[in-house]
Amino acid sequence: MPRPQPAEITFSIDGREVAAPANMMLVDAAKRGDIEIPVFCYEPKLGQPVGACRMCLVEIEGIPKLQTACSTPVKDGMVVHTQTERVRDAQAAVVEFLLVNHPLDCPVCDKGGECPLQDISFGWGGGRSRFIEAKRHFQKPLELSPLVAIDRERCILCYRCVRFSQEVSEDYQLILQERGADTYVATFDGHPYVAPFSGNIVELCPVGALTSKPYRFRARPWDIESSASVCTLCPSQCNVTFTVRDERVLRVLGRDNEEVDDGWLCDKGRFAYQAVHVEERVTRPMVRDGGELRPVSWERALSEAASALSRARGRVGAVVGGQTTNEEGFLLQRLVREALESPHVDSSPLGSRSRADLVALANPRLQATVSDIEFAHTVLVLDCEPIDDAPILDLRIRKGVRRQRTKLVVATSRPSALDPNAVATHRFAPGEGAEFARALARHIADPLPDDDAALRDFARSLRAAGDEVVVVAGERSAVEAVALAEALGLAEVSGAGILEIPSGTNGRGLREAGCVPGSGPGYAEAPEGLSTPRIAEALSKGDLTAAYLLHVDPIRELPGRGTWEGALERATTVVAHAAFLTEGLREHATVVFPAEGHPEKEGTVTHPDGRLQRVRPAIAHQGENRAEWQVLADLMRALGVDPGVLTAGMAFQQLVEAVPFYAGLTLDTVGGRGVRWPERAQATSLPDVEREGSAVGREEARAEGEGLRLGTFRSIWAAPEVEHAPALKFLAARQRAELSPEDAQRLGIRNGERVEVGANGTRVRATVALRHDVPPGTVFLEENVAEDGANLLSGEPLVEVRRS
Amino acid sequence: MAQHLLFKDIDEPGLSTLEVYERRGGYSALRKALEMEPEDVLAELNASGIRGRGGAGFAMGKKASFLPKGSMDKYLCCNADESEPGTFKDRELMQKSPHMLIEGIVIAAYAAGINRAFIYIRGEYAEQADVLDAAVAEAERAGHLNGLPLVVHRGAGAYICGEETALLDSLEGKRGNPRLKPPFPANQGLYQGPTLINNVETLATVPHIIAMGGAEYAKLGVETSTGTKLVSVSGNVQRPGNYEIELGTPSREIIYGLAGGPPEGREVLLWFPGGSSSPVLTKDDLDLPYDFDTMAKAGSMLGSGAIIVVDDSNSVVDVALKVAKFYRHESCGKCSPCREGTNWTVKMIERMRAGEATPMDLDIMASVQTNIIGNCLCVLGDAMAMPIGSMVEKFRPEFEAYIEARRRELDRVTDEMPEPPLQVLQGAR
Repeated sequence: MPRPQPAEITFSIDGREVAAPANMMLVDAAKRGDIEIPVFCYEPKLGQPVGACRMCLVEIEGIPKLQTACSTPVKDGMVVHTQTERVRDAQAAVVEFLLVNHPLDCPVCDKGGECPLQDISFGWGGGRSRFIEAKRHFQKPLELSPLVAIDRERCILCYRCVRFSQEVSEDYQLILQERGADTYVATFDGHPYVAPFSGNIVELCPVGALTSKPYRFRARPWDIESSASVCTLCPSQCNVTFTVRDERVLRVLGRDNEEVDDGWLCDKGRFAYQAVHVEERVTRPMVRDGGELRPVSWERALSEAASALSRARGRVGAVVGGQTTNEEGFLLQRLVREALESPHVDSSPLGSRSRADLVALANPRLQATVSDIEFAHTVLVLDCEPIDDAPILDLRIRKGVRRQRTKLVVATSRPSALDPNAVATHRFAPGEGAEFARALARHIADPLPDDDAALRDFARSLRAAGDEVVVVAGERSAVEAVALAEALGLAEVSGAGILEIPSGTNGRGLREAGCVPGSGPGYAEAPEGLSTPRIAEALSKGDLTAAYLLHVDPIRELPGRGTWEGALERATTVVAHAAFLTEGLREHATVVFPAEGHPEKEGTVTHPDGRLQRVRPAIAHQGENRAEWQVLADLMRALGVDPGVLTAGMAFQQLVEAVPFYAGLTLDTVGGRGVRWPERAQATSLPDVEREGSAVGREEARAEGEGLRLGTFRSIWAAPEVEHAPALKFLAARQRAELSPEDAQRLGIRNGERVEVGANGTRVRATVALRHDVPPGTVFLEENVAEDGANLLSGEPLVEVRRS
Repeated sequence: MAQHLLFKDIDEPGLSTLEVYERRGGYSALRKALEMEPEDVLAELNASGIRGRGGAGFAMGKKASFLPKGSMDKYLCCNADESEPGTFKDRELMQKSPHMLIEGIVIAAYAAGINRAFIYIRGEYAEQADVLDAAVAEAERAGHLNGLPLVVHRGAGAYICGEETALLDSLEGKRGNPRLKPPFPANQGLYQGPTLINNVETLATVPHIIAMGGAEYAKLGVETSTGTKLVSVSGNVQRPGNYEIELGTPSREIIYGLAGGPPEGREVLLWFPGGSSSPVLTKDDLDLPYDFDTMAKAGSMLGSGAIIVVDDSNSVVDVALKVAKFYRHESCGKCSPCREGTNWTVKMIERMRAGEATPMDLDIMASVQTNIIGNCLCVLGDAMAMPIGSMVEKFRPEFEAYIEARRRELDRVTDEMPEPPLQVLQGAR
């Protein structure tokens, strides 16, 4: 869909000639002439203006009544006045009306000092109150949710929060109750407002009515510092601002970047900062001593790790977790490959993607951007669940469908939260996403008369709206999405392509930094090594003797828990970087280095669309924490290799020198908004690697026999950060089995009942969650939960569910 | 005497049935219209000069011609949410002559190329909605709907849903709040499609315009206010009720002639010429001709044609309170001036009643009304501010006398200085 390209026009405002794009709302156009028109309800992120607060009334020559500048598109030759007596009176009148029921208790209000109502009252108000009647009273403050407090007396009914719930997150929970001066914001049924994006309403509120419960009364605006960075809790990599007071993060705010997050944050990104400041966090290096992990000095931890790894030289397997920065990943692969002479380093939990596949996936011509999602003719969601895997993309897809009439088609095994917005949905059996994508690509390239009708219909919906198709693909099917994109000819279409959601935050950057077996920095050829699942096997067999776990606990996070338990048991050395001692590390790690929290980190990460972004430290290291790039460099030094890195900037410089398509990048050019390398001239330095026939077939266990097909998913709330952030704890994922009502009825199981899901003697305990749209014959379990993880059953395609 | 069009057979027993309506010549205008080209029907409506009977008085033919041409879903919504205090003409029309409305809707739909029509009727008109339901079914069976799907939709009791865009939201199943204009309903109305919205009386007049011809109809009334108008007269009159008058009839003739004037020995204190939201007029205005432009020139409006007469047995302050309370209760709360202004006004008048006001409050009250007028999202705020503002302006001595009387009556007058509310502490105690 062509993006709007408005012509420049000139208009006059307060006697100044100002140029602005045609049809831009007057409020925004006025800013081009350095004129501020006050607003409360206007927020372009929320969609069409509503003109409810009436704060932005201005005079336009030729129109008798005052007009709301928020809803008046600017036209060529328009003559606008914002400083006439009539306008000033009207604006002062609106301020007076808004203050009629607003308590004048700014000194005790949490918003005081950063409150638009306060600022506008000073700037545009009459300065005195003629209202001497009693104000309306509500009980206060109330819990709108465990995360958000609501003070209804302060609410000026600007509608922002309600519009967010109705038109942005589409959870439809917030509404206005009653009418007129009795109106108040509430949830539809009086239940708490619990939704993945609920915290955004706090940031949207122009008064002190909605406040964050974790932040309330923790600081005044003049006590705090702000520090811009990037949230590394999921692949969305939202741009954030940390609010810091005395070296503690107290709040996370969105930092609007239209090309990344569109100004929104999920509740995990907004509240999980608390986990940086909890007791349970590892803030000192630890070494296993007498069967127990004990805090030790850095010197001892480093020397123990170095000597143990040195003994395992050539037999070290390294697995890199998604929260690792590019620099850390780059140094780790140098440590493993150069200092430990071992080729086994991988950052994908699934393994098995060839270098050629990854290069094909990185093709700049097939690369879709985040904003392409909004303006595409059609978006295909393939084998992923955006709300869990990259929540902010879920909002972007909804935005496209709602505002640009983008067509959405969904092909997943598990029912998606986006299904209601889709024009077509397809359900394949768990694990068969890649197969489906292959079949779809083949059908589009070469339709056969006896192709399945469902496949034909789906392909038709995919292409019906136009050429600009964006494929949002999960990691499991991304390589097959390349074939699909090729069949659709997306390389020739601008605004189209693939946006892969990797399973880890920085999955893309780590690939490019060389954390892939057989593929070095910049996808350069490297000695063949083992993939993650093969590392586990080799460790169990004793072929490898040491494991290096950079921000990953395989027992909790990776498929094949059974294999990994054997692997870590047998390994003589397990070096880990971790913020929390999760189960696998508690049991098996021999050396633990404290991992930095994302507000402490310095480095870069790469967004799924190829945007390098800077992670900048907001607070000093907590406890005895050290920068992890430094830990890796120190280890290299201890193992006799000079890393040539003394600062974080030098680490970035080394990475840039090693990756040809990053050439010339500096931290300054990356800056606060990031740089997309596929857009740079140097993108042509991507190596050319011949692909061998069709994508490598993966060993998906085939389902034969009786039982339910087992699918897995990772909830947005399945993360140690959620479990350890006091405010978010109540959301922490617990194992639930999603089951269709048909199967439940057949098995005599009711919603909410405790069950055991198992096969071949292995059982996972779960609570049943009936979901209407789950295809009968299938059950879904959660990955990465603290207990009873679905990875106990990896490799078991069929399971049985029974009441416990 | 009045020219009877709409009310010609209104008291005919059984007029609500198709049989009687047809016997009285019903649906012949529809047949005539269907033999004409839609543009010609529209031209007749334009020639008639009929202005909307719902309150705004916008030329109906012009409004219908705003609808974009081309084949797309276009909607007609008959606004039967007759909620303006003092207005009850549509009720009688729908109850006694539902087919006249249906015939008008079918003709208007034909003229404007509309393919789906709704009658949005206020929830309190349950009986009239039943009558309409039956009549629509009858008309459909008889083939009089010309293939037009016509749905009678009942509101849930909100004055604001008579505002055309709030009506559309309510019809779409949303909370009935007014929308921002533009876009106007003619371009983006119901379900974002072009929509024509007309009042019951306007649409019921359509068959008569077609039957007699637009030019002939335009001869009725006065130049800029053509035709006849149903007037609901209520309040302190001896014969309250609906009357059909020719526009331009002297107001005195309606209030005294038709409705019998105030009871013996009483005089008109003030009157609302067009429902409770019209600025009030006084007994000095009784000789003005009753038409759109004269009422506007007198600083008020013809509105829905609801004349409410208040005689000198009442206090203007009580009238003001009644009006303000109504609008406070009905304000949807979407925009600040209306939501807070109506609420504030009620509180100020209540304070006058409690003997706690001073004449200074009258200045504030007048200023609040000024601040509301023209600054709201829809006209509901103005609907309170205009009459209240006019009352304060025209009856200031009465207000002042009332305030003083209540202060004395309730013993709020004292020569003593009041205690300072807060003791100011200087330094440490």
